Amino acid sequence: MIGSAIAGGFLGTLVMTTIMRGASELGLTRIDFALLLGTTVSDNRRKARAIGYVFHFILGLAFALAYAGFFAIVGRSGWLLGAGLGALQAVFNGTVLVNVLLPVVHPRIGTPDSAANEIALIEPPGFLMLNYGRRSFLVVLAAHIVYGAVIGWVVTV
Amino acid sequence: MRVGGYAPIEDYALIGDGRTAALVERDGSIDWLCLPNFDSPSVFGAILDAERGGTFELRPAIPFTSSRRYIPRTNVLETVFTTDAGAVRVVDAMTIPDERLPPMRELVRSIEGLSGLVPMVWRCAARFDYGRARPEPSWRVGVPVAAWGGEAVGVANWDAGTPAWTDGAVESQWAMRAGARSLLALTTAYGEPLVFPSRAAALSRLEATIAFWDRWSSERGYEGPWADLVLRSALVLKLLIFAPSGASVAAPTTSLPEEIGGERNWDYRFCWVRDSNFMIDALLHLGCYEEARSLFWWFTQATALTAPMIDVLYRLDGGRGADERDVDLAGYRQSRPVRVGNGAVGQRQHDIYGALFETAWLYSSGHRALDADTGALLARIADHVCRIWARPDSGIWEVRNGPFHFTHSKAMCWVALDRAARLAAAGEMPARHAARWRREADAIRAYIEKECWSDEVGSYTRVAGSRDLDASLLMLPLLEYSDGGDARIRGTIDAIDRTLRVGDIVYRYRAEDGVPGIEGCFLNCSFWLVSALACCGRVDDASALMERLTARANDVGLYAEEVDPRSGAFLGNFPQALVHLALIDAATSFAPPADRRSRRAAS
Repeated sequence: MIGSAIAGGFLGTLVMTTIMRGASELGLTRIDFALLLGTTVSDNRRKARAIGYVFHFILGLAFALAYAGFFAIVGRSGWLLGAGLGALQAVFNGTVLVNVLLPVVHPRIGTPDSAANEIALIEPPGFLMLNYGRRSFLVVLAAHIVYGAVIGWVVTV
Repeated sequence: MRVGGYAPIEDYALIGDGRTAALVERDGSIDWLCLPNFDSPSVFGAILDAERGGTFELRPAIPFTSSRRYIPRTNVLETVFTTDAGAVRVVDAMTIPDERLPPMRELVRSIEGLSGLVPMVWRCAARFDYGRARPEPSWRVGVPVAAWGGEAVGVANWDAGTPAWTDGAVESQWAMRAGARSLLALTTAYGEPLVFPSRAAALSRLEATIAFWDRWSSERGYEGPWADLVLRSALVLKLLIFAPSGASVAAPTTSLPEEIGGERNWDYRFCWVRDSNFMIDALLHLGCYEEARSLFWWFTQATALTAPMIDVLYRLDGGRGADERDVDLAGYRQSRPVRVGNGAVGQRQHDIYGALFETAWLYSSGHRALDADTGALLARIADHVCRIWARPDSGIWEVRNGPFHFTHSKAMCWVALDRAARLAAAGEMPARHAARWRREADAIRAYIEKECWSDEVGSYTRVAGSRDLDASLLMLPLLEYSDGGDARIRGTIDAIDRTLRVGDIVYRYRAEDGVPGIEGCFLNCSFWLVSALACCGRVDDASALMERLTARANDVGLYAEEVDPRSGAFLGNFPQALVHLALIDAATSFAPPADRRSRRAAS
């Protein structure tokens, strides 16, 4: 099961990343998870993006293991259940993880509390990441639903 | 002196914390404050509606005179009220948060008796949502609190009388004895509980805020002429940078009129691409590298959705859209409408591309290499400029009767492609299309020289084929379109000096622009004239003009967008970033052009 979770996590993250990148290229959102995550350790954009993609895949695998654990607890899996978990995670990410928790540990991202004594390099994402475009949350929601569905489809209990 | 409840614009001073800012009148009233951010609805808006806007008064209860200054090298305001009964000093600041559970936003008013026994009064009338909402008066642990929807403000007070609610405002009277100290702390919250500071914590933050600004000022690198005004301008610009994102507002106000009683009233609480690039230039010049980098990063993020096209302005959170609407306020001295949002967002203004590339060029000249993504983005934008430069646009002044073939816009497109070619040659941008950029730049220059020059006027003209002049053409020598010795540049400067200048101040143009009414002289154009005169070697004329313009600052060194040429009164939004940016450029223009550029790049 762990093996299938890792495989599902890798595949799901790959698809999710492609959706997010595609949405960005289509002008639907300015979310760039790789840049957001990578700039926690580097202010060089190119380096930050590369590091960010690694972080994103590690997180994708970690969450896939958590999804698999949930499937094991409830005793069933499937793409629909996975999609539901993905939707929940999108809401959590948009309201808490990226909006509240990430700025706490991110040295270069602004927060609503940043004042004149701080200099932000990355604008704060805002509630549901709407600062990055009005359709941002819809893109995040769709990407996470697909991510969850892929994991639910690959992992069998 | 107030007329009908409205004070002259020049009677205000600005305090802020990098997220929002307040205007404090000479009489101690805070008549403008938006919460929690610059672009949020006002809580104190008496400057736009003396009856319903809301205000936070603090003054002697008997006749008084006042004098004021910023505490040197800070954005903390000190006002001394003098009465027949004695004198009182008030220190106003929006505090920088610390680790002692600060309020979401905090405005501290520290009062100290200097002499005698002075009866004092304070009155806080919060009116949320641009005066539309009267608050529900209440008390929380002894602190008067006004709340509406998700917003709340409280006035923590110490030794400042016994406050009571009267007609939707909380007020108090007390007497200040020499040596006594009182304190008011306006604590605010949006979507979270109010934090009530202790007296010690509020005072500690006030002292730390003074120390922060002093430290920030000490790190600025300018030592040339008019150093005090340059530093004050730098402090104003720092106040106008929205710290959560790094964007900068053009001014912290909306709808202060360009004509008293007129309808040229605009909301400037957005980040204009044009201004932000002047801003980066000035920040680099002043040694504010971190602020410049933050703004440059913000810019590359904000434009990601629209590139290679660039919007004229963006919201402070980086978002697009600034739909213009009227709000139900009486307007400064009945100047209606009061607008929120800005309709210029939908315009096409081609000069912003030149501003962008000039900034990127200056930024990279200081050994701050552009990353590959930014270089690729700029290359796409340069290709876009090749496609659009021949089209008409709304121009730098955002005319509403266009589009036209503005000379300034064409010249800025030339700047864009010239700098793109230079950046490509320096290895900062992909060079695949560099030959095309150079070729198109040459084509733009040929167009300007043929279509935008008038032998009859002896000047470049406002738009192709016209005889009108435009002060924006003063930018041509400053951006190296031609050098100051060029006969056509000299002719243009002379023509503008002769035609648009009134005394020491300059109209931006004298042509129709699609908006009814008249306007004052633009101070940024006046400072541009200083720079242009200095650039073409007329240093004595430039210096004399600069002296006269610096005398037009208000008592604390601030400028509004415009000046009424008849009365000398300030008009338009206040304080305006572009004027202070132009002042910095003018002050630094007395060095030879090569030195200016190298100093800026080396900063």
